[in-house]
Amino acid sequence: MKNIYSKISVILALAVGFVSCESDFLDVKPAQETPDVALSDPDTAPELVNSVYNILLGFNMSSFAWYGVTEITSDNADKGSDPGDTGTFQKNHAEYTYTETEASFRNLWEIHYQGIARANQAIILLPDVQIEEPLRNRLIGEARFLRGLMYFRMVQMFGGVPIIDFIPDPNNPDDINRAYQRASVEEVYAFIEEDLNYAIDNLPTKSAYSPMNLGRATQGAAQSLMSKVQLYQQNWQAAYDLSLAVINSGEYQLEPNYDDIWKDEFENGVESIFEIQGRGEVPSLGVDNYSTSQGARGQGGWGWGFNTPSEDLLNTYEEGDNRRDGTIIFRGETLYDGRFVPETVTNERYNQKAYVNINAESPNEKNIRLMRYAEVLLINAEAAFELGNSTVALERINAIRDRAGLEDLSGLTINDIYKERRLELAMEHDRIFDLRRQGRAAQVMQAFGVPFQTGKHELFPIPQEQIAQSGGLLEQNPGW
Amino acid sequence: MKVKLFFACVVFLFFSGITHAQQSKSISGVVTDANGVPLPGAEIKVDGKNIFDVTDFDGNFSLENVEVGDVMKVTFLGFKQQDIEITSNATYNVTLQEDAGQLDEVVVVGYGTQRKQDLTGSISRVDTEEITRQPAASPMQSIQGRAAGVQITPSGAPGSTPDVFIRGLGTAFGGQNPLYVVDGILTDNINNINPNDITNIDILKDASSLAIYGNRGANGVIIVTTKKGKAGALQISFDSFYGLKSELSKVDLADARSFAIYSNEALLADGNEARFDLDQQYDVDWFDEITRTGSVRSNNLSVSGGSENIRTFFSAGFYEEEGILKGNDFNRLTLRSNTEFNILDNITFSQQLSAALTDEIPKPFGAFNNAYKQTPIIPVRYADGEFAGKFGSSTGINNVGNPARDLYYDNQKQKNLRLQGTFTFDYEIADWISFTSRFGIETEYFRRRAFTPNLDLFLSADPTNTRDEYAADSPKNTLSVRKSDSYKWVLDNFVTLNQEFNDLHNFKLTLGTTAEERGGEYLTGIRYNVPAQSDFWSLNNGDEEPQLTSGLRDNTVRLRAYFARLNYDFDGRYLFTGTFRRDGSSQFQKDQQYGNFFSVGLGWVISEEAFLQDSDVISFLKLRGSFGELGNQNVPLNILTFSTGLNYPFGPDEAINEGGTIDQLIDPALSWETTEEFDIGLEFGFLDNKLSGEIDYYNRLNRDAILPVELPDAFGFRGTTLTPAGQVRNEGVEIVLNWQDDIGEDFSYHVGGNISFNRNELEKVTNDFFAENTGGSLGNGQIVKKVVEGEPLGSFWLLDVTGIDDNGEFIYDDVDGSGTINDADKKFFGSYTPRNFYGFNIGVDYKNWDFNLDGYGNYGNVVYNGKKANRFSNENIEQDVFDNRWTPENPSNTEPAAFNAVPLASNYYLESGDFVRINNITLGYSIPFPEETVIQRARVYVTAQNPFISQKFTGYTSELPGSPLGGAGIELNAYPAVRSYLLGLNLSL
Repeated sequence: MKNIYSKISVILALAVGFVSCESDFLDVKPAQETPDVALSDPDTAPELVNSVYNILLGFNMSSFAWYGVTEITSDNADKGSDPGDTGTFQKNHAEYTYTETEASFRNLWEIHYQGIARANQAIILLPDVQIEEPLRNRLIGEARFLRGLMYFRMVQMFGGVPIIDFIPDPNNPDDINRAYQRASVEEVYAFIEEDLNYAIDNLPTKSAYSPMNLGRATQGAAQSLMSKVQLYQQNWQAAYDLSLAVINSGEYQLEPNYDDIWKDEFENGVESIFEIQGRGEVPSLGVDNYSTSQGARGQGGWGWGFNTPSEDLLNTYEEGDNRRDGTIIFRGETLYDGRFVPETVTNERYNQKAYVNINAESPNEKNIRLMRYAEVLLINAEAAFELGNSTVALERINAIRDRAGLEDLSGLTINDIYKERRLELAMEHDRIFDLRRQGRAAQVMQAFGVPFQTGKHELFPIPQEQIAQSGGLLEQNPGW
Repeated sequence: MKVKLFFACVVFLFFSGITHAQQSKSISGVVTDANGVPLPGAEIKVDGKNIFDVTDFDGNFSLENVEVGDVMKVTFLGFKQQDIEITSNATYNVTLQEDAGQLDEVVVVGYGTQRKQDLTGSISRVDTEEITRQPAASPMQSIQGRAAGVQITPSGAPGSTPDVFIRGLGTAFGGQNPLYVVDGILTDNINNINPNDITNIDILKDASSLAIYGNRGANGVIIVTTKKGKAGALQISFDSFYGLKSELSKVDLADARSFAIYSNEALLADGNEARFDLDQQYDVDWFDEITRTGSVRSNNLSVSGGSENIRTFFSAGFYEEEGILKGNDFNRLTLRSNTEFNILDNITFSQQLSAALTDEIPKPFGAFNNAYKQTPIIPVRYADGEFAGKFGSSTGINNVGNPARDLYYDNQKQKNLRLQGTFTFDYEIADWISFTSRFGIETEYFRRRAFTPNLDLFLSADPTNTRDEYAADSPKNTLSVRKSDSYKWVLDNFVTLNQEFNDLHNFKLTLGTTAEERGGEYLTGIRYNVPAQSDFWSLNNGDEEPQLTSGLRDNTVRLRAYFARLNYDFDGRYLFTGTFRRDGSSQFQKDQQYGNFFSVGLGWVISEEAFLQDSDVISFLKLRGSFGELGNQNVPLNILTFSTGLNYPFGPDEAINEGGTIDQLIDPALSWETTEEFDIGLEFGFLDNKLSGEIDYYNRLNRDAILPVELPDAFGFRGTTLTPAGQVRNEGVEIVLNWQDDIGEDFSYHVGGNISFNRNELEKVTNDFFAENTGGSLGNGQIVKKVVEGEPLGSFWLLDVTGIDDNGEFIYDDVDGSGTINDADKKFFGSYTPRNFYGFNIGVDYKNWDFNLDGYGNYGNVVYNGKKANRFSNENIEQDVFDNRWTPENPSNTEPAAFNAVPLASNYYLESGDFVRINNITLGYSIPFPEETVIQRARVYVTAQNPFISQKFTGYTSELPGSPLGGAGIELNAYPAVRSYLLGLNLSL
């Protein structure tokens, strides 16, 4: 028997040994790149920043929800598409029946904070990556420009929002609180200015970048955005000075023909200050369904037909304003690339600024012009006018009008400037914010025929689901 | 030979048993049944020795080298085993008693076997006959309704894998599938197994039987045992059937005129002009255009036999199925070789090898959805042969593709080769101790080729499109090739000790270890503009540029475990099973890798007690109960990765610049889900086991169910984070009843059934940030499901339609009284998982005839008519929707007027999922052959699969597999249930 027991013990030892001889048997390295591995490579540095640009390509960030809240809620655009197609939230945007549970606000809230989180990762991690100092500063400058841009859009939509400039730890109650604690509008603007000032100090000018970096944020872009941020705060002098700096930089000029601005061959052209880049060629990479969702719907069309220019916008153009045809695709029209828009398409008008050439390899080819020289002139004009310098203001406005094929004005009112701004920048995602900033939103929108409520519709609602999740910590906007 | 093996297995031989010399002799005898009829093929084995024989046609056997005092075990399928001690006699007449009940059968319990009578756990067994009677590509589909507590939801698609839930749905975010163990290989499904090769399937359902599988056990374990060769004459079987398939039920869609009237009304209601002429040129039944009569054909050959030292089984099977969706084909070749070698008296080596090669032409099931929605007023093709595209003959109608075109241009082919092998050494060290070492390996190779004719698709999408409009540098076609492979291996080593004391105390102890690894990767290549002929569909024939590839290597997963099981019984009356497993998994982070799982089971075989032993009524009665903890390690990976591919184009050439960031949050403490299970069961046999059955009550609590938690959006993490955040309870009762009897010599019959009740609930949420995850997207902006505390998993969350207003529009219950209808007004309306499901079975044998009927049904679930709820904007409607619609002349309080808007997700589209179906009716005739012919058995049969159904659902099928928060229970792109009629032959030589 003793013999047997010794045999058993040997067998047991063997059996256990089969699997336990390797003590680190379970220590399997993941096959995907972990952050530690990634950050040990200096090439990761630009990748961190590129991923922030990448968020601009998102459907929610720059496409359906964005034009839904910026244009369809304004007098510039109707919902479009078939009457029966609500476009999820677009019908509510158009008719001012949108609520705090509308998916658009949630989508926009979410995607902007995702972009901000990417920027935070870049800004916080870049100091630890082994790269040369000037490149590091430029990359941080780009990330801070983009973070400033996203916070600006947040404050435009929602007013004061929580400021996240750290990498959150979900186990830290302070971090949770900060995620639900709205900063004041002034605090958000101060934060944006800090980011943009860093960007102005650290970014090269458009011409100083090497060609392969075409499309990156420039000093001019940061200055232009900063002048707009100042305009929104009615800091007229600062808005004036910054826009003047851009004008005097010599980096930009107006494109001679208005409708050329949105053609492929004029991408990143002389007027361009900052654009979202799109690539049509395979593998294509561009703003998700921006062109297609605004393309003509129905037989002979090429898209879903949303965000159609309104009759009100159409009627605002003066006779001979070539911006009308540069902005609107008309049923029955033959476009510059030879495409005929048959009468069978669903809607009378479509947004030409979202149109991509028929020969483009894919609709992703479209670059979205976020900031262009004409807007800097308009900011400069408005700031000058508010500062009492109507000569400069008139000069700027007439430069814009010249290009539009219109006669010079001899005198100016603030409403002339507002009108010029509306027509010049129609369908460029600014209208509702302009109306609110100018304090005219209620008046203009009520005249447009929607039930705009004063004291409520000046801001979009904070997504209800976030308020519920916060247990009431996150405060809703007035009226919602 | 033996000398070589001696060296090869030196480790094992080192322990070779003690031999002792005694006087040996030869004996002979005959084996008969109770009526004196000889039993050919009965096995006689001398206990503890490798002395063996099989009776001939006259029941004769002979054994040599036996000793007085040896015990020979005489076994024959369907009869009780007899142990006979060898005395000085030279001849033995053995009479075997028929085994009336199934209670003496031996079931596979994981790392061993056990008599069903001695089990303290709940195990359902399904045998080969039940599996092969209901042919399907996957054996799991064949056993629907055969095992209590096992809910099997198949899809009618050829080669599809059914959903299998054992005792309810325990998790929504962890893996929900049971673990499959095929001859010792732990795997994910058994689609590669030829049903004819299966001896039986044992389904482990409770903690007592599952704890031995530790952190793989929580969803149940399905053990598949394949056939072994038997010593004796060569046996050849040939099984073949052929059948035709068609849809089981069809939805009656509106004809052209009804469509035109309805669409005009909807247009007018929206303030548009009516635009459809009531007299239409075409009236197409799109379902008919995309379907055909399917067929199924199977041929299977097996050869088995062996000698004293080598027993082998070989089979080859070829299964071909043409689906009812045009062009959708599935073929499978299976090969198997199972062999056992007696290397020495006390050492056995066995191997099971199988190969399954499938060849499939998939087609997009979205065609069913498009066929439902496409208007009948456009033709499949115009007179010039061009497909009628997205838009009609003269005017845009809707945004539905032409489903016939979708099928025509979908050109895919996929092949899959799966190889499995197990290699087992059994070393009987002494009569009370044995050692088993088993290595199992599985590899799988998959290849898919997809050809997309981009230009043809562009041209056929809209009849006004011309070749000139197609962008010059766009690809005319795209060839995509994907190859993937995966592997897994498992190594088990265990010892089994058996000891009996005083003829009363029986101990069986199993101790062992196991290690496992799995991994895989894929590679995809894409090229443009290959020649249009399929012979040239090779990547190198495409354009030089671009050459697009992608690939991914999976994280390797390793598992390691130590396990122990003690079975003790006192006099066959009082039973105890204790099981322990310590399990480690590389899926989790360092300090979270190991967990302990256990179970305790108790049983009392009441019928063995003196007061029942002589009962005429009660032949068997056992009460058993168990409690234990099981794990589910199939949870999402918790390794934080650097997210790449967040690219952006820069520069005049729009060069793509790589982008990457950290945009997720991983819970480093994420670990397996732990399920506690309590089970109590009663097994019984009355009247000589003519009436037998089982009743079980179970209560399973997944006490740390993984759920999504949603951190503040302002944190900016992508998606939700998964963490143990809730408790899911499944509670239920299973009842099995069977009656079998003979009337006279020629007539025998059985009637049986089982029913399972289950109640499922997300009982408690333990994390403040629980996301109340919504799901069940219809793809049109509407979502229909939500996970919330207090409701079953997979519950529908919808607006409540309370009536129809004066304009014929839905009135919804404004729950929050806000005056607007939105998500805040949604209510819960139950789950797609049934509250009960049942199977029933009737079998009759009369002389050479055999008849069998199987049925299955479920009750108490709801399903969403997603096709109907997806209809908008001039898409077709069901004829009933048209006939019953609200009109000013004919108002209705339940049916709306014609409308074109996207329907809101509401209970209007929710329907009862209850159904009863006859799954199978088979009538067979065994052709009698004289005994001297080589043909032992020849049976012909006809089978009707799914011939009848009674269902409340108005769609195609209420059996809708899918993920709990995804498509399960929603009919959208679902393959209709199919009915088939088969003619078959079984031949044994």
